[in-house]
Amino acid sequence: MPGFEDVNYYFRKAARIMDLSAHVERMLMTPFREVKVDVSITLDNGELGTFIGYRVQHDNSRGPMKGGLRYHPTVDMDEAQGLASLMTWKTAVVNLPFGGAKGGIAVDPASLTPREQERLTRRFVQQIHDIIGPQRDIPAPDVNTNAQVMAWIMDEYSRIHGFSPAVVTGKPVDLFGSKGREEATGRGVVMALEEHLKDAGLGEVRGKTFAVQGFGNVGSWTSRFLHEGGARVVAASDSRGGVHNAEGLDVPALLAHVRATRWIEGFAGGAPLTNEALLLLDVDVLVPAALGGVITEANAAEVRAGIVLEAANAPTTPRADEILHDRGVTVLPDIYVNAGGVTVSYFEWAQNIQQFSWEEERITAELARHMREAYGTLARVASERKVSFRTAAFIVAIGRVGRATVLRGV
Amino acid sequence: MTVTSSEAAKIVRSVLCRGLTFEQADQIIKAMVPGTAEPGTVVMREGERGQGLMVLLEGSAEILKQGRDGGEVPIASVEAPTVLGEMSLITERPHSATVRALTACEFQLLTRSQFDRLIKSESLAAYKVVATLADVIAWRLDRMDEKFAELSRQGGGVAPVEEIAVLKHKLFTEWNL
Repeated sequence: MPGFEDVNYYFRKAARIMDLSAHVERMLMTPFREVKVDVSITLDNGELGTFIGYRVQHDNSRGPMKGGLRYHPTVDMDEAQGLASLMTWKTAVVNLPFGGAKGGIAVDPASLTPREQERLTRRFVQQIHDIIGPQRDIPAPDVNTNAQVMAWIMDEYSRIHGFSPAVVTGKPVDLFGSKGREEATGRGVVMALEEHLKDAGLGEVRGKTFAVQGFGNVGSWTSRFLHEGGARVVAASDSRGGVHNAEGLDVPALLAHVRATRWIEGFAGGAPLTNEALLLLDVDVLVPAALGGVITEANAAEVRAGIVLEAANAPTTPRADEILHDRGVTVLPDIYVNAGGVTVSYFEWAQNIQQFSWEEERITAELARHMREAYGTLARVASERKVSFRTAAFIVAIGRVGRATVLRGV
Repeated sequence: MTVTSSEAAKIVRSVLCRGLTFEQADQIIKAMVPGTAEPGTVVMREGERGQGLMVLLEGSAEILKQGRDGGEVPIASVEAPTVLGEMSLITERPHSATVRALTACEFQLLTRSQFDRLIKSESLAAYKVVATLADVIAWRLDRMDEKFAELSRQGGGVAPVEEIAVLKHKLFTEWNL
């Protein structure tokens, strides 16, 4: 998982180009607030279970802070800081009126019963209810948290503060959730690529070959949209390994297989393939959509794809990023590529505030507009300033956050 | 050992043997010996004679440097796969910093005597490794330059009010993109 230092490496690189002073750098990097709370609950067997919850609120100069809440044993302050700052830059890149936050509970939810998970979630809300809120900080699903967890958060917060569906996004569609939220990140990933192909004169998605690492929400929806667009997804994988078929995988059949058996393993429509080998396939576009840190200095020189589409957060280490750049591989960066999720979260929040529900067509059209406008700015800055898309994204984000900060007054 | 010998060879090839033919890389790999370190153990000690070049295969380690008061100051942490001990190998001087394992570490060691033996036999592979190490050192120096630049700028004598005015001007002109 990317720590604070990894995110700050790219931030610093952009800040150097903009020639910001060390004081300003530190001001923009330092989180607004960091909270660590005790989340103790009675377990079903009567014993006391004590867990630690975290919430880091990085910056609120552009609006209420926004970011996921994850339940995972490795959650700690360093990870939350890094991811919270990433959210600040991400929301700025796609120009949403939000700042960045992140948090979670250090717990393996698989070790808890659903009733215990509910108690844990409600207890956490009781501990942080005074620092979150529709106009303060709006959590969302992340690793091991889902629409049900968001529903509990909304309910518990509303018990204390009155009816407040906009306190959290990623809620079930039947409980103030938004249409199109589930597939939003994957849809945005494909839109990001389409913008780039169009701009670079590389044609369209149709007929191009793809390797997708990760088949969770983002990887599976991305594969599906690529397939629907006429692309050949020649390889896909999950944490246990993947499949490869040079003719292109039958994505709908693979989705059905994974729905039935949970894993890609055993899918008949291709030959088995390791996750390491998938990254080195000779394809047009490589889509890392799983863990961070998979493209490293050890394998970056062997990546054969012409474009790396970063659907996951921080899949490329700083050193690997330079190697790819030197080799002329185009890296479309995470803070832009996977921003579709938070963008539709913004639409969900806006619908909750309006108490008015949007149709799916409107969601898709508005998402496309945000992705298109963001790409236009990135491409212009990248070519004018002769920097990579990633550096351009950080420059744009730092500019927006910086202007909001100085206008409000330091 | 969680890293198999074939995985170890693959990592060594990718971090140390870029630009070497398969046979040349094999020559280097055969000259190396495997090792492990428990969390918290010191694998290289600042000021001691370099034992050789280490390729970290698994785990993470911190780099410490002795401060003026004699205490050790952490200056960086590194994660596998990476190379350690490259400076003392080339300069033949004692280790310039201490390396302590943060997690359980596995590595491959190219001892100084093995390296010297390869150099004496005018092994092209060994000279190519030196070229790779120059690249590693250049990259690390580059990071250090950035850190230095940051530290020097912290002392810049611009008054805070003026600093914000400068920032505001910059953000609304040159960087209003």
